[in-house]
Amino acid sequence: MASEQLTGAALLFKVLQQHQVKHVFGYPGGAIMPIYDALYDSDVEHFLCRHEQGAAFSAIGYARASEQVGVCFATSGPGATNLITGLADALADSIPVVAITGQVATAAMGSDAFQEIDVFGLSLACTKHSFQVTDVNDLEKVLHRAFAIALEGRQGPVLVDIPKDVQIALVDEKHGNYSQLKNKVKLPPANVGSALALMSKAKKPILYVGGGVGMAQAIDELRSFAKCTGIPSVSTLKGLGALDPQDANYMGMLGMHGTKASNLAVQACDLLIAVGARFDDRVTGKLNEFAPNAKVIHFDIDTAEIDKRRKADVAILGDLKVNLPSLEMPLSIEQWQETCQAMQRDFGWRYDHPGENIFAPAVLKELSDRVPENTCVTTDVGQHQMWTAQHMKFNDPTNFLTSGGMGTMGFGLPAAIGAQVSRPHDCIITVSGDGSIMMNVQELATIKRFQLPVKIVLIDNSKLGMVRQWQDLFFNGRLSETDLSDNPDFIMLAQAFDIKARQITKKHEVAEAIEEMLDHNGPYLLQVKIDAKDNVWPLVPPNTANDKMMENT
Amino acid sequence: MNHYQLNITADDKQVVLERILQVARYRGFLINGINAQVNNADNIGIIKLFVSSERSIGLLVDQINKLIDIKSVTVDNKATQSTSA
Repeated sequence: MASEQLTGAALLFKVLQQHQVKHVFGYPGGAIMPIYDALYDSDVEHFLCRHEQGAAFSAIGYARASEQVGVCFATSGPGATNLITGLADALADSIPVVAITGQVATAAMGSDAFQEIDVFGLSLACTKHSFQVTDVNDLEKVLHRAFAIALEGRQGPVLVDIPKDVQIALVDEKHGNYSQLKNKVKLPPANVGSALALMSKAKKPILYVGGGVGMAQAIDELRSFAKCTGIPSVSTLKGLGALDPQDANYMGMLGMHGTKASNLAVQACDLLIAVGARFDDRVTGKLNEFAPNAKVIHFDIDTAEIDKRRKADVAILGDLKVNLPSLEMPLSIEQWQETCQAMQRDFGWRYDHPGENIFAPAVLKELSDRVPENTCVTTDVGQHQMWTAQHMKFNDPTNFLTSGGMGTMGFGLPAAIGAQVSRPHDCIITVSGDGSIMMNVQELATIKRFQLPVKIVLIDNSKLGMVRQWQDLFFNGRLSETDLSDNPDFIMLAQAFDIKARQITKKHEVAEAIEEMLDHNGPYLLQVKIDAKDNVWPLVPPNTANDKMMENT
Repeated sequence: MNHYQLNITADDKQVVLERILQVARYRGFLINGINAQVNNADNIGIIKLFVSSERSIGLLVDQINKLIDIKSVTVDNKATQSTSA
């Protein structure tokens, strides 16, 4: 049924409203000006970021913290290319984001016009799907499809490129039902019987939990399965929070910087139940020596993940909320549970550290013990990221946002902005490093503009720490381009954006400084100076089996 | 090196070929040939893709199947056997 005529740009906001989009992140420019003009009359609240990459990461943080679709805007050419890293990050971590880019007018497309780039071509490798709308009559359908695709099955980013003339063209709103996707991949029925048979026979099963559990909103089902079966459990980086960190059978993260107990247990297990996990190389170490004696049951929503890196003996495809309960069965594995719990006791974290210098793991444990309920922590990428994953406890995946698959430095600060916008009443903390924070430091201006009370814990070793660690360990100590001792004065930098800031250098300052930060009613930067030679332990060297980890001796 | 023929049907969208070629290359398959036609009656594209790789063809089938505009992907076993002999 035809109704009022409106511009393509106005139609965009109508569709956003229909998808309950209240907040978008973006940056205006020439080819997206009609959309920014329509924004003027819209109820959608726009958060001006100071770089399109910041807008993309804020949209990701928003999506991950709130389990809604994140939306970002950018203009054509450089605006669009600046989004690309964020889209790649969202694809790697399966985050539902809809990115809207302006494009030069259709008549100018393909002429190397000012600020023209084939963003549609660029998007092929870094989105779940992408559209270029060359007829305004297609716009409504495409936008609805974009939201449906972003959320359907394994979630991911979708880009919609809209030429300027399409934004200003008049069109009738059609009110069609466009959100229904055809379910083209017919999933085989879950082979529950075979899975139960493997579970019955197993003497040393392990539950290996990935980010797919949170994406499927199957936390309750997972915890119920873990409790009923009593299977000792481990988590990937992106799975942290899915399992109850207080559960006696939970051993923490596995993989390159996983706990010793997790890695030894996985290597010794005779049945590995992978739930929403994809056998990533940072998890498996040397693939053909990963869990060498284990049968595998693999739960996933994505057919393409089955047998991609590890052959599954039983694959259970589909919705975890449906499939996990069908395998609940008490198991008699008390001896194995005791073995795993003994390893946890024997190889637990130690926080004793010689001297007065601050020990980052102890800071993060202290922070974890003191934060309010429902605190959401984002990180950047590097040593501080791994220390956060190791030493902070999370009770839900929406409370730990980190760039897992892509490992994108510069993620943490803008992701925290997005999280804070989506959860204005929760405490949002970004743990960053002195290398990473400089990657999107301009977003301090976004914090200032919107007076967002984001807390920044800056673990500062004046180094590109993780690369320095690898250079020390694997490149004969030949330190190449990892010295950052000429960083700016971070206290002055924060203050330039009206952000309260404090530096600490000694252990005895930690507890009081964390309290001051958490008590502060506004944004705060806590610069924590640590020893430049501190390493992340344990470490499984590249292409090495996970039980051959290096430790701090 | 194993040689395979895939028979793909897809919505008739110009970019669908680009998507298929990008996925095939990225997932480690050498493209040896392609034959694409459109059935104008139902706007369905019919694509024969000839690829070779050391990797299992199932990996590529699953990845192409994930593309939004793809309707079906099958491996032509007859062609596969004759080219790998």
